[in-house]
Amino acid sequence: MKLIFKFVIALAGALLTANGHAALSVFACEPEWAALVREIGGDKVSVYAATTALQDPHRIEARPSLIARMRSADLLICSGADLEVGWLPLLLQTSGNAKLQAGQPGNLMAADFVTRLEVPSSVDRSQGDVHPFGNPHVHLDPRNVLRVAQALSERLGKLDSSGAVYYQGRAKEFDARWRKAIADWEARAAPLKGMKLVPYHKDQAYLIHWLGLVEEVNIEPKPGIPPSAGHLTDLLVKLKEQPADAITRNAYQDPKAVEWLSERTKIPGVMLPYTVGGTPEAKDLFGLFDDTIARLLKAKKPV
Amino acid sequence: MFKLAILICAVALATALPAPVSAQNSNELEEIRKQIEALKDAYETRIQALEKRLKAAEDAANAAKTTAAETQSAQQAAAAASTASGAEPPQAAPAASQSAFNPAISLILDGRYANFSQDPARRSMTGFLSNADTSDALGKRGFSLGETELTMSANVDQLFFGQATLAVEPDDSIGVEEAFGQTTALGHGLTIKGGRFFSGIGYSNSVHAHAWDFADPSLVQRAFLGDNYSDDGVQLSWIAPLPVYVELGGELGRGVHPPGSDRDKNGAGSATLFAHVGDDIGTGGSYRVGLSTLRTSTDGNGTALVDIDDRTGTISPFVGDTRLYGVDFVYKWAPDGNPKYRNFKLIAEWFTARRDGTLIFDQSGALGLGATAEPFRLHQSGWYVQSVYQFHPEWRVGLRYDQLDEGSWDAGPVAAANGVTKPDFTPRRYSAMIDWNPSEFSRLRLQFNQDKSQLGLNDNQIFVQYVYSLGSHGAHKF
Repeated sequence: MKLIFKFVIALAGALLTANGHAALSVFACEPEWAALVREIGGDKVSVYAATTALQDPHRIEARPSLIARMRSADLLICSGADLEVGWLPLLLQTSGNAKLQAGQPGNLMAADFVTRLEVPSSVDRSQGDVHPFGNPHVHLDPRNVLRVAQALSERLGKLDSSGAVYYQGRAKEFDARWRKAIADWEARAAPLKGMKLVPYHKDQAYLIHWLGLVEEVNIEPKPGIPPSAGHLTDLLVKLKEQPADAITRNAYQDPKAVEWLSERTKIPGVMLPYTVGGTPEAKDLFGLFDDTIARLLKAKKPV
Repeated sequence: MFKLAILICAVALATALPAPVSAQNSNELEEIRKQIEALKDAYETRIQALEKRLKAAEDAANAAKTTAAETQSAQQAAAAASTASGAEPPQAAPAASQSAFNPAISLILDGRYANFSQDPARRSMTGFLSNADTSDALGKRGFSLGETELTMSANVDQLFFGQATLAVEPDDSIGVEEAFGQTTALGHGLTIKGGRFFSGIGYSNSVHAHAWDFADPSLVQRAFLGDNYSDDGVQLSWIAPLPVYVELGGELGRGVHPPGSDRDKNGAGSATLFAHVGDDIGTGGSYRVGLSTLRTSTDGNGTALVDIDDRTGTISPFVGDTRLYGVDFVYKWAPDGNPKYRNFKLIAEWFTARRDGTLIFDQSGALGLGATAEPFRLHQSGWYVQSVYQFHPEWRVGLRYDQLDEGSWDAGPVAAANGVTKPDFTPRRYSAMIDWNPSEFSRLRLQFNQDKSQLGLNDNQIFVQYVYSLGSHGAHKF
């Protein structure tokens, strides 16, 4: 036992001295927030993304590696609004990191800084895995990203006051670029207005709301409940009567249901990036929206 | 509302009452009238203010009831305005009531139908000193209710988190399964827990019954630790500041449960130590390995040993020390680390227990030899390996193999001559299960066990079980 202890102490010492360059270490629950941290924090922060674009953020195992990474982080950034309720509370409880607990400056939940959509007036589990605080997939409205960026730069400045000016400068520069990009996206997406989507899950709500699209129906019968064969058949009948423009899914969602429906309804099936890394083109936050709009445009007017 | 009514009545009375006839002069009368007028004005202003507030409250209530579409369009406008101005977004005010601070509550409902080919009342694991407390772990034949578990948890304040799990047993008794407070603000990877809690030794020991992958615990868990070994005490755990997960921890407790026993003493009656190491393997896999040890004693009160009592027809409690050592291993895999559609887990644990003390053979004197206290030493071990594969979002299948090793027995001459001997038998059990999980909150399970843990008996066991979880969304440990 003593030997193990000595070994660990020695290893920890070696690691702490080696990891001296970045001022702040950030634990990001999802890739989109990791990308935002890179935009605002530059080389003054090191960021660890707990999930990839191929993983459903609702369903993540509270793995030992995540506890280890959270243990030494200075800032936690997540979507919040209970998106991570199945795993984040456990990580916070077991990692022994006081800085990241709720109410601390090191705890940043993006959904706290935006106006949430679909806040239910009452909740019941018969409605599926509904989120009582509203739809948590807030990053798909780029105007929300702007607000979170502002909050993030303030938070980084609070945690590392020597870099406050640096973070502020980067946030300002990002703000300008992002506003220009929003105008550009809105112009490009103008023809998409009124486009009828059938998303797999209710995770495109903010995009739909931003671009004035229409959510016809979801492939999931209830949020979080995978579609049964019977439900897909009903959906098929419904979509033949009332055709939509595209059936969409994210990289981590089951392609089979989308392909099955798309084949029979002749409605194009589209894989949307959903987050950074969800498609090869979605390399960063700009690429995420570029590619999302490009893929929807392509579905709307097949070449 | 009630106050408003009283106010209105008061004003009405004040204005309607005739002026006192006995008033001496008109000046005085005028004075009184003026005073009443002033009073009326004052009340009217207040009533108007109250009416305004009432209207505002009603409007707010109506606004909350508007349809999702209306809310969305309002939010759209608000969002657009706020983006344009760069101002703070409007936030819905949280419900300003005391209930907002209620702890997260979850209720577990568990029930089953069980079919055993052997009488469960006489079940023991041959050669293993399972305690009377745990010998009914499998439940009854036929329909029966499992544990109904009520868990409440919340942050106590900025320093502590608290949780209690009350288990209502099918016989209507209520037990405190866990009730502890733990620190959230120590930092440096340190967490201190105090109260009653499931010990951190092994892997499945700290998993609540509703989260088990099978309807029943492993044989080695039952033989050495009961369903879940819990204690009243304190736990310290430390996560090392490394990119690899390294956890070191220990507990001091009362040692009230077998293999310990209740005592009337200052200090601690049990101690544990555990170490865990874990990490990811590639993008889809992750593992955790652990070493743990428990040391406790029965103090003066011996513990009844079901197997010895059954075989010798005597009551022969054991008094002494038990040291337990264990190795546990967990591996989980999912394609791309996304467990929703498909995932696999493999769990294996091995424990060895050394008991060293005194066997009070035939304490009640049933054999007519008189109670004989003799030195008694026992060194036994057991292990299991189980795997569960979720091949569809709603379906899982699992297999488990259990084995116990009777090890070495060192009983005194009287006890040995009267049947306290190594039975030359290796208890085994084979289990298979399939469960259907229509959502994250319900599970229906069918399980089959071939239980060969009793010498000469083959018990075929069938379980049909449901587990429902109501209320707050619980997070499950790795």
